[in-house]
Amino acid sequence: MKNSATGPVLAAPYFLWLMAAFAAPLGAVALLSVQESSELFAPLSLNPSAIQYLDLATDPFSQRTILRTLALGACVTLASAILGYPIALWLTRLPPGWRPLGFACVLVPLLTNVVVRSLGIILLLAPGGLVSNALALFGLPRVNLLFGWFAVGLALTQVFLPYMVLALYDVLEAQEKRLAEAAAGLGAGPVVTFFRVTLPLSLQGLRAGLVIVFLLSSTAYVSATLVGGRQVMVSGMVVLKEGLEILNYPAASALAMVMLAASVLVTFLIGRAVSFATPWITGRPPRRLPSLPRALVAALEAIGPAVSRLLLAIALLLLLFPLLLVAVSSFNNSPQATVAQWLGFTWRWYAAVLENDRYLADAWVSLKLGLAATVVSLAIALPAALALVRGTFPGREALSAFFMLPLALPGIAIGLGMLRLLQWFTALPAFLGILAVHVVLVAPFMLAMLRASVAALDRGLEEAAGGLGAPPWRVFLQIVLPQLAPGIAVACLIGFLISFGEVTVTAFLTTARLQTLPVRLYAEASFSLENTINAISTAFILLTVALLLLMHRLVPLDRVWRR
Amino acid sequence: MTSTTRRLLLGAGAAAPFAFMRSPVAQIRRGDELTVGVWGGMQERILREFVATPLEQQYGVKINFVLGGTPERRARAYAERGRPSFDIVYLNIFESRQAVRDGVTQAPTDAVPNAANLYPAAKLGGYGVAFNPVTIVYDRRAVASPMTSWKDFWRPDLRGKVIWPTYPGAQGTAALLMAAKVWGGSENDIDPGFRQIAALKPFAAIQGSQDQLFTMFDQQVGAASVEFGSFTRAYAEARNPNIVIADPVEGQAIATNVACITVGTQKQALAEAWVNLHLSPECQRAYAERIYYSPTIRNLTLPPELTAKLVMGEDSVGKLVDFDWDVVIRNQPRWSSRFTREIAG
Repeated sequence: MKNSATGPVLAAPYFLWLMAAFAAPLGAVALLSVQESSELFAPLSLNPSAIQYLDLATDPFSQRTILRTLALGACVTLASAILGYPIALWLTRLPPGWRPLGFACVLVPLLTNVVVRSLGIILLLAPGGLVSNALALFGLPRVNLLFGWFAVGLALTQVFLPYMVLALYDVLEAQEKRLAEAAAGLGAGPVVTFFRVTLPLSLQGLRAGLVIVFLLSSTAYVSATLVGGRQVMVSGMVVLKEGLEILNYPAASALAMVMLAASVLVTFLIGRAVSFATPWITGRPPRRLPSLPRALVAALEAIGPAVSRLLLAIALLLLLFPLLLVAVSSFNNSPQATVAQWLGFTWRWYAAVLENDRYLADAWVSLKLGLAATVVSLAIALPAALALVRGTFPGREALSAFFMLPLALPGIAIGLGMLRLLQWFTALPAFLGILAVHVVLVAPFMLAMLRASVAALDRGLEEAAGGLGAPPWRVFLQIVLPQLAPGIAVACLIGFLISFGEVTVTAFLTTARLQTLPVRLYAEASFSLENTINAISTAFILLTVALLLLMHRLVPLDRVWRR
Repeated sequence: MTSTTRRLLLGAGAAAPFAFMRSPVAQIRRGDELTVGVWGGMQERILREFVATPLEQQYGVKINFVLGGTPERRARAYAERGRPSFDIVYLNIFESRQAVRDGVTQAPTDAVPNAANLYPAAKLGGYGVAFNPVTIVYDRRAVASPMTSWKDFWRPDLRGKVIWPTYPGAQGTAALLMAAKVWGGSENDIDPGFRQIAALKPFAAIQGSQDQLFTMFDQQVGAASVEFGSFTRAYAEARNPNIVIADPVEGQAIATNVACITVGTQKQALAEAWVNLHLSPECQRAYAERIYYSPTIRNLTLPPELTAKLVMGEDSVGKLVDFDWDVVIRNQPRWSSRFTREIAG
């Protein structure tokens, strides 16, 4: 970026969208958090009071909840990274024709309902479940891992692992394969090659994955509610409880703001750590790492491949287990969806979906919304990604943290903020209103992933094209875009799935004029979950496989010219 | 949807400050739209069949369903107090009474003819459309002898096997209040309840919904819990015959689903016609037959084998344990925070 003004200009659309659609609910939450009175209908006071924050600071329960939530987020993030690398590397090594199917495997948790997914975790961890039986097989004592922090961590790792894998996939895919060969030629084994070559060069993708997974897992509360057995308190649950059950908006808002601040801090620290570890991005020489004792390296090389295969197997099992459950349940002749026992084969859940045109109408709304949200998000996130990676303007890190804010504020808090703005919101055309909010929720994901893809661009190619006389627009269209295509495809896929499945915030905004499919399913699940949900999930998984195969034909998920 | 709707909504918004001066439209006009906030699934299906479709056919009106869980619906209704986008919202027993007190929804009136048939307990804080009492449910294989009293949770054979319901929520509220009551306290003296529940620790688990409880029963995580008898019966009949729905000597705790007409609705007459149909014997019968909801009206007779599974008749309804819900609502924040700190977590 030669002209220093280009960066801010490219980042402007994203910035303006956030200001228009996110600053208002955030402002409402911030204002609510400084109210002195917790009275429900007390008029909003503009005199800030720190009482809610003081309450939080002096309440050991709140402190414990916040710290535990952050620790849970950190553990889930770490686990996702450890399991994400083997899967992402496996994806890049799949023959191109098989990659759509590989992607489908990774996406399974995102396509299944959270209640059903949680049932999977329960079946895995219950006293008579798979893990316990496996332990018993080796003569170890049976354990009850259910309804505790481990179960919640596992459930969160399962559903957020796909984000990590996709964030890593593109940077790993873009990596120069000859580098690994060079390392091997110089005597490095697979373990040393991974830690000295593959890992450092994928740090930009890892940064995206770490940020996304940390923000998601530190604000999540549904899995904690379902598999934590209510004995695990995370701050998202407390926000929900204070805000929706007790109707104490100021207390809920203050807690949400504290979580927001903590999340921003962590995002910032992750960014700094990655910048520190990748000095070559800004043209400085790489740091020298101390060398390890030879015996240790040999030992690591000896167990490395086995560990890597074991991690891959665990990760694939974790990702695919819900698929088995969902597919089997969709044919189970049981009135409730959360059943572990087989009661007979039936097609009736599929019939129920197809006969009920309301499902189809709501699915159509969700589809339109998802597509529109993805297109708009791409249009604002791609320029912003270019600005953040290549711009040299001051305040870049701060801006990048600001751009991730919508992920850092618990969804429930966004919903509470929107409640204050319902009057204005309902004055908007229904579709446009929900679209504006969905873009706010989707764009940060796409930005994080595109940023990694942009950082991995080979600038030598652009310089060569420029040197041969290509004007900038042509360089962009013919050099930059084709290189970015797989990254864009993956980002769009994630963006679409997030919008298509969003329920936390949308549930507050649903009106008689517009209802999405997830909100309908959520409303049905609020009493008893029927097996139609599994029929729908199975249909979606098949549809996703078909879409991926189609997409792979149009936009290859790998870089064709490298083959 | 249509631009007419949008204009109407905009108009309603602009006129909102003066809503209290305007008398609600007294008559149902063709083309009117009624917006109903309700749960999905079987509830929606029954209401479409027995209430929405007949109204649409009779008056040429349009019924909009806004499906969702109670918390979002209630939060929305509160945020829109006085200028509601809902004409009717469905709430539970204490939420509905609180909403009336907070000026969000209307108290019941005689403008709904079928409301004359309601039991008095169902005519508070709106129109009770179903009794859905909360009681003890247990796995007969996991207890030494049948559970017949709320005090049985404290029996030695249940040590470590209790699945307690989370608070607040209909089940958790009933469980806390009943615990206080059987141990010499009341809603005005909740301490014995908290002390005794804490003495039950460690719990096998804490449950937050019926689906969660049923999964726990499937997996034999615990022996007994507090839950809606209706859904548990459907669960027991469909997939777990070992589960018993007890009828404790102290009585089952009252819980109701309540239809609430919002304050400020512009479709007063249509909303009342809606509630009237919901209280019709046909609709109440469908509730009883399909999801074991007990009728709130007195003018309905059902076959004896179905009646046996419900709470029906003056005597049975009179035996339901009721509480001073104003006290319960007032203390909810305090009790909730105490529950989180002393019982869960």
